[in-house]
Amino acid sequence: MTYELTIEPLGQTIEVEEGQTLLDASLRAGVYLPHACGHGLCGTCKVQVLDGEIDHGPISSFALMDFEREEGLCLACCATAETDVTIEADIDDEPDALNLPVRTVTATVSRLQQLTPTIKGVWALVDEPDGLPFQAGQYVNVELPDGAGHRPFSFAQAPSNPREVELDVRYLPGGVATTWIHQQLAVGDRLRLSGPYGRFHVRSSAQLPMLFLAGGSGLSSPRSMILDLIEHDCMLPITLVYGARNRDELYYVDEFTELAARVPSFTYVPALSHEPDDSDWAGARGFVHEAAAAHFAGDFRGHKAYLCGPPAMVDACITTLMQGRLFERDIYQELFISAADSSRVRSPLFKRI
Amino acid sequence: MTDIANAPKAATTKKPGLKERYALMTRGLDWETTYQPMEEVFPYATYEGIKIHDWDKWEDPFRLTMDAYWKYQAEKERKLYAIMDAFAQNNGHLGLTDARYLNSLKLFLTGVSPLEYMAHRGFAHVGRQLPGVGARVACQMQSLDELRHAQTQIHSMSNYNKLYDGFHSWRHMHDRVWYLSVPKSFFDDAITAGPFEYMIAIGFSFEYVLTNLLFVPFISGAAYNGDMGAMAFGFSAQSDESRHMTLGLEAIKFMLEQDPDNLPIVQHWIDKWFWRGYRVLTLVAMMLDYMLPKKVMSWKEAWEIYAEENGGALFQDLARYGIRPPLGWQQACDDKEHLSAQAWSTFYQYQGAAPFHTWMPSAEEMDWQSEKYPDSFDEYYRPRFEHWAEQEAAGNRFYNGTLPMLCQVCQIPMLFTEPGDPTRICYRESEHKGETYHTCSDGCKNIFDYEPEKYVQAWLPVQQIYQGNCFGPDADPTAADFNPLLEVIKWYRMNVGVDNSPYEGSRDQQNFQAWKQQTTSNAPAGGSPAGA
Repeated sequence: MTYELTIEPLGQTIEVEEGQTLLDASLRAGVYLPHACGHGLCGTCKVQVLDGEIDHGPISSFALMDFEREEGLCLACCATAETDVTIEADIDDEPDALNLPVRTVTATVSRLQQLTPTIKGVWALVDEPDGLPFQAGQYVNVELPDGAGHRPFSFAQAPSNPREVELDVRYLPGGVATTWIHQQLAVGDRLRLSGPYGRFHVRSSAQLPMLFLAGGSGLSSPRSMILDLIEHDCMLPITLVYGARNRDELYYVDEFTELAARVPSFTYVPALSHEPDDSDWAGARGFVHEAAAAHFAGDFRGHKAYLCGPPAMVDACITTLMQGRLFERDIYQELFISAADSSRVRSPLFKRI
Repeated sequence: MTDIANAPKAATTKKPGLKERYALMTRGLDWETTYQPMEEVFPYATYEGIKIHDWDKWEDPFRLTMDAYWKYQAEKERKLYAIMDAFAQNNGHLGLTDARYLNSLKLFLTGVSPLEYMAHRGFAHVGRQLPGVGARVACQMQSLDELRHAQTQIHSMSNYNKLYDGFHSWRHMHDRVWYLSVPKSFFDDAITAGPFEYMIAIGFSFEYVLTNLLFVPFISGAAYNGDMGAMAFGFSAQSDESRHMTLGLEAIKFMLEQDPDNLPIVQHWIDKWFWRGYRVLTLVAMMLDYMLPKKVMSWKEAWEIYAEENGGALFQDLARYGIRPPLGWQQACDDKEHLSAQAWSTFYQYQGAAPFHTWMPSAEEMDWQSEKYPDSFDEYYRPRFEHWAEQEAAGNRFYNGTLPMLCQVCQIPMLFTEPGDPTRICYRESEHKGETYHTCSDGCKNIFDYEPEKYVQAWLPVQQIYQGNCFGPDADPTAADFNPLLEVIKWYRMNVGVDNSPYEGSRDQQNFQAWKQQTTSNAPAGGSPAGA
């Protein structure tokens, strides 16, 4: 049995299993709710139930007072849903989120292209004429064959084209989904997609210069966001620092080079970490965070930064940004919180990064 | 951007989020003064060197209005006092595992509860002195919390004062007794620092990094040993602690984000206050391993969970700001093998000067130690403890009759051993204006060397005794039978021979046994309460 959990002020609706705590469901859906002790003693995760029935679970009567229960508050770390539930949590409103509804659609693979030796581009035409509308930066779940579950991939195309979905997929040796996509998927195959998901999107209302740091197949979301910004004549400075191992792994290089030549506010900084020393590569050498630090002379103040790529890259970039005086409130990344992450000991110092 | 008009409409008109609503209620309460320059209204705001450019960047660590605050705390109090009354009326003390447990309460009441009161004063002071309105509101609420914690602790433990020894003069003792100068001087050090240092010392280092090591063992100890009163105030206090922790975290983030010049200052304070707090926790280590009849976990286990694991994750995150783990962190991790045994040895020797009872662990308890400390207990401490237990059984209990040398900074007797060599006592010394000052460790020596002018003023109990400042007005040092140590004990207001006796044969032990027996048999009443 599952129920729908709507989280205000985001307006986002997610699924919660019977017996699953509201906190657990939220974290797994990528919505950070403040929390600390995790077992009903400290009260950090207190939320207001606006609609629906919950079970409070085993909580301390000091952490949630009688009058608070009467007012409809509960502790998300212990509360479970008994009907569909709407809660209001102490989280920042996102004026730029479009909160598009999640849909499940069918699509036909229309094109396949090897973008680099390890990354394959998959284009799929959605059956419905209006396609699958999404906000740049969001992702879609692709259903695997034979009931093997689903995997999330970010939309790589601009949102102005919701009809033909583009997913750029890196091959992971031994990975069930990426092996299927790289070795078996063929033009004409049918796909089931559900989405859009995720809260990784451009904070355009901030009206600040934007910095996109991406590595590997983490280029998809930034590409979609940048194409969207430029299509809408964004005048603010946009910088993309994209890292790959070597020249062969660099993709969409012509597109971004052309874009940078055409759009004065857009700067493209490709960086190669393992390019042979004697090659004719004239661009940056090193990792994304190093190229970004060099490009901005170590000072990132006054930006909004969007990070997408392998965890080690994202981690190094956050440290570099913070040492360049850009802090959590201005750094955004796609958060996929897996079961392994939630069992890792994390300090509550940062909430989103 | 995506055309919003054509996108499916998600939500109707939104009301302001909690953050916005709170900002509307709490901001703009202050003003720029015109009759007096702002730097005279906030005289302590800059001298520590911390640079703040924009107080509006302060993110409220919690959003609570005073109106809601009173509602919450009133209900917490009602619940807590109902439990305490029920516990007292039902002779809850007879449900304790053993009267030895009470000694950890005596230690807490004399050593920690007065610090709650000092924390109340400290946050009130800092709340007045910080120029940012968000920080001031948060400090005000923590100040009130701390006052409540002091009161509820005193009330919950006062039930025992009618029946057991050593609970009567905790406030008087806190300012005088030799080992109580350890927690007292810790807080005096913090409260005499500037407002930003206080926030790192207490708000961050103590409330965030170390508080779990103090509270969780103590409250779990109460639960494991049948003390519902202490357990209830623990729950009641813990529901406030989440606010305190988030305030400490916001304070450090805010300072580090405001100006790069703040980093070395904050780092120094973290080094200092980690070590100061860790030294105070020596008392907790001893309580966990030796004073709880029913053990919760060993100090080593508590350290591994709350310091190494949780603290380690915190410092990993703080590394993004350029903060490194505190100096002394590794030594504290290494010393987890030895801390509690070395402290308990000291209190056992100085039983005559402490208002709580001590004892040697039973054979079963020594086996527990061996199991928890396989790399140290049997080799270094078991032989000593078995020898002392034998001597005590033979009527020859060991008392140390001389006064110990104290560390100039933490004020703990020189009982800690050299890093890497648990057989050699660690001594450090520094020279300042021609005088030699002694410290117990590299950590305390570093603290002294950085601010010698502050620590040369320390009120060190042993020195004060030798200077004759610790006798009552009726003491006569010229009398032929003058016993200086006895006079000191009297000045401490210890009930000589009762409060400070070994547990074995103590009135607490006898009364508890007699009263307990009464609950299950028809034997005549025995025992005389502490007040009698």
